[in-house]
Amino acid sequence: MFELSTDVTSPKILRRGDYSAYDALYLGDFSCPDTLDNFSSHPEYLVEGVEAVKLQGKKCYLRLHAVPSNHELGSVRTIIETAMRLPFDAFEVHNLGLLKMLREIGCNKPIHLGVFGNLYTDATARVVKDYGVTRVYPNPELSLKEAIYIRDQTPIQVLMPVHGKIPLVISETCFILEHSDRRPDTGCGYLCTREHWLTRRAAGGWSLKDTGRMTLSGSDLCMLEHVDKLVEAKFDAFYVQSHGESGEYVATVGRVYRDALTKAFAGAPAEDLADALREVGAFAKMGLCNGYYFESAGRRYVGRA
Amino acid sequence: MVMMMAPGGTGEMARLALDEGADAVYVGVLGWSRRGAEHELNDDEIRGIIDYAGARGKEVRVVVNTLPSSTEIPMFLDRIDMYAGWGAKGFMISDVGCMRLVHERLPHVAIHTSVGCGITNFQDVRFLAESGATHIVLPYRMTVEEIAEIKAKTGIGIEVFMFKTPSGGKICPGKCMMSSYFSYRHWLDENGKDHFFGSASRGGDCLRVCQSNWEFGTDEESLGQPMTIKTNPALWVEELPAYLAAGVDCLKVPGRDRSAQLVRDIVRFYRTVLDRIAAGETIDFTAYRPLLASFHERWKTERGLRDRRLIAEARREALRADRLTAASPVCVPAQ
Repeated sequence: MFELSTDVTSPKILRRGDYSAYDALYLGDFSCPDTLDNFSSHPEYLVEGVEAVKLQGKKCYLRLHAVPSNHELGSVRTIIETAMRLPFDAFEVHNLGLLKMLREIGCNKPIHLGVFGNLYTDATARVVKDYGVTRVYPNPELSLKEAIYIRDQTPIQVLMPVHGKIPLVISETCFILEHSDRRPDTGCGYLCTREHWLTRRAAGGWSLKDTGRMTLSGSDLCMLEHVDKLVEAKFDAFYVQSHGESGEYVATVGRVYRDALTKAFAGAPAEDLADALREVGAFAKMGLCNGYYFESAGRRYVGRA
Repeated sequence: MVMMMAPGGTGEMARLALDEGADAVYVGVLGWSRRGAEHELNDDEIRGIIDYAGARGKEVRVVVNTLPSSTEIPMFLDRIDMYAGWGAKGFMISDVGCMRLVHERLPHVAIHTSVGCGITNFQDVRFLAESGATHIVLPYRMTVEEIAEIKAKTGIGIEVFMFKTPSGGKICPGKCMMSSYFSYRHWLDENGKDHFFGSASRGGDCLRVCQSNWEFGTDEESLGQPMTIKTNPALWVEELPAYLAAGVDCLKVPGRDRSAQLVRDIVRFYRTVLDRIAAGETIDFTAYRPLLASFHERWKTERGLRDRRLIAEARREALRADRLTAASPVCVPAQ
């Protein structure tokens, strides 16, 4: 009926997490190859990862590095070749060069275009479809109407993020490391395991979360009040962005959305979501937002009204 | 022979740049390039510049590098046909789908990828070449070695900015939505064209929120004084022979949103240097440092004025939207 997915960075996080609410998991952190025990940069963890996910009866996708440089292409190729021999259900690609590489290698698995694939138009969706892409994550700046248009005109499956911080910026350097006291030759020290925030008090508390090579929205995207709209619009693949969040966050948010989506797909009448909103809102240090779905600034929240 | 391409942020700037020795100018189409309206040209102005350049044996690249909405694409293609018919020799495009459509319609025109394509490796370049790109613009930070490798592996036309960012900070072009996260508004004009205030990628001008003062750190620790999120690039010259040796085909002078006089002086400077290199002169590039430093100061002053204006616009738009939100019956969980 529908698929609810989220992301898992490393074997340790996978082992400790409760992913019972999810149908599929994206393994790896696409933003930084140096993230601790990142599935996306450690071919030796892939067997364990995919087996653990499959044992839970879920689909398992592998994320590839979003901004690889020339000299990183070789290591990404090793990851791809290892994963091709394993029962991964798809690769997630953000970098168009890697899409080209997957075709050269003769990839026979489905490919998903990730958030930094910069998909804005159905014309681009048709181009990437020709390279084997079967699912796209539209650029977050696109409205709900635009996502529907791309899905129907291409046609192609569209992944709809429903909750979590919105990826806004990606870089090939680590912003945390650049501003730390660490000497470059001592490694990164995994400083990103602590939460880092950018705040601008003068602007009334504008905030962004920074994970080093990626900047995310300060507020958490929350589409709970609009789940019925998404179902009515015939979307069937939903995603919770949980990079950098706690295990409790992943389990709770997943459970709340599983429940809301199941009811919406069953045609149940809209119910009072105050408790559910409070539950997911409790994790949102900087509040909730609706992203760009309703054509307003990404940080704004639009209720059911 | 390397092509020097200069900005035509206004008609005056375009003409001055051509007069000072640019081989081509690039001009943004009103509503279709990644700059505010004051640095874009209307169709009459663009036609005038194409004629002016053509009469001098020079070329015009038309910048249509917004990431449009899907429904704008027919309008986009009509414009491409029109400018090509007027004699534009090439286009700068970000959207890969639009790139392929233009290449299919007009296989003879040059297609320069926009910096918004966010290229990071030679496989990206191969992908874009298959989508119709004839020239790719490489990001500020790429090293000469990386450029040479890309040229050797792809053979495509290589365009580099006369700008580099030696220090850290975030990548912006094509991979940044920070501006629109804080201030954004969408509307349709009378012709059915979409406008996206606040979206750097979609033609609404980047509101430069990264250039205001941010505090950075964890709950327990602040990492230094309030800082900007992105560092600003600077003009370069000393590496020019190495870039030419690496196979660079096109040197792009930045500055569509600078003054015509500053762009004129920069173009004059680079023309002189390129001509001296072409003549086989041995150049002491260190002698140019004071001049580059003076350009840098003028640049910083002009950029500072623009950044402050845009940051204030971002704040005004946010306040406007705050007022509307406060007046509407919506639920806003506590922030």
